[in-house]
Amino acid sequence: MMNSMNNVEFLNELVNSKFNVVKTEIINAEQMSFIVDSRDVHTLLTLLKTSGWKQLSYLSAIDWIKEDEFELVYIVFNWDRPVHIQVRTRIKRDRENASFETIIPIYPGAKYYEREVHEFFGIKFPGNPDFHKQLILENWDDMPPLLKDFDPRAYSDSHFEKRDYPEKHINLNNQESKQEKRQKRNLKSLLLRNGGKK
Amino acid sequence: MKSTKFSPMTQEQIDKKWWEIGNYFRRNSLWMLMYCTGCCAIELPPAMTSAYDMERLGMGPMATPRQADVLLVTGYLSLKTLRRLIYTYEQMSEPKYVVGFGSCTINGGIYHDSHAVINKLDQYIPVDVYVAGCMPNTEAVMNGFTDLMGMIKNKTARGWLDYKERNDWYKKNQLDSLGEVLVHDEFHE
Repeated sequence: MMNSMNNVEFLNELVNSKFNVVKTEIINAEQMSFIVDSRDVHTLLTLLKTSGWKQLSYLSAIDWIKEDEFELVYIVFNWDRPVHIQVRTRIKRDRENASFETIIPIYPGAKYYEREVHEFFGIKFPGNPDFHKQLILENWDDMPPLLKDFDPRAYSDSHFEKRDYPEKHINLNNQESKQEKRQKRNLKSLLLRNGGKK
Repeated sequence: MKSTKFSPMTQEQIDKKWWEIGNYFRRNSLWMLMYCTGCCAIELPPAMTSAYDMERLGMGPMATPRQADVLLVTGYLSLKTLRRLIYTYEQMSEPKYVVGFGSCTINGGIYHDSHAVINKLDQYIPVDVYVAGCMPNTEAVMNGFTDLMGMIKNKTARGWLDYKERNDWYKKNQLDSLGEVLVHDEFHE
């Protein structure tokens, strides 16, 4: 425990002394989050990699539709100092041209994560030679599906045949509710108790 | 001179008899190929092991599609798994039967409005027996298997013949939902 607190303090010192961090969040002894400006991401990741955070665990994105922004989350991990670091940054949410410079020179494994993000959010990664190729969705023919303005129900309705049921099976919802039945029964018992008078 | 006891059988009748004999052995030794796509697959371990002991019905697991008789589709199918399921189904040797588990194969279940999950399995490949439930009880699973055996006996498990007869219809549905069944990208070369 003592050791891992030292890790967090070490990181705080390391990052905040060199970067203009918008917000530092210590989630617990094994997790930290840095929100940085999008211009600082590459240098910060380079610093972290040289300090031992050599594994890129995940690259994810979040669609903040009301703020008109995409948030990119890089999660890196160190095997000597067990702290997961989330490096978060926000970029402009532009459906057609949202783009962010690739981090392949720093973490080569980001190649496939960037393809995935491009597939699900439509963010372009210039510098990655094949970010536009398909990875998980095969022959996708609509807008990227994890954007908040994508309607999965409409897509499902237009692409997949639904099973039709005869009327009598779906009529169950029109039955009177159990609560109403119970209220009626209570009213009746009240009437009986009062000898038939209201 | 025509014998009164043994009237000669036509080739059709002989074939029918052979099919009946074949079906007798087939339904008592079904080899299943488990395509464990979803959570209904968790019902298979109790059905296979000592609790319900599927082996007493003559059913056993088989590793390759070419040697299997029954294809178990246990759970929801995304577009990606549906492609693999169609490859697998077409590789199986005839006669072949399909059992669909859970509400997801029937009408999409809880994934009915997902962009990635199909709703109706019998639109794409013929399904002989559906086991309803989310997830189905192990008793229901065993009941589904005995139903399938009864259907083979009564010659009503005709899904594989239907797939041959109405192949155009199935292929059209597959193409409508999947775009193209065999994907061409860097992972399929």
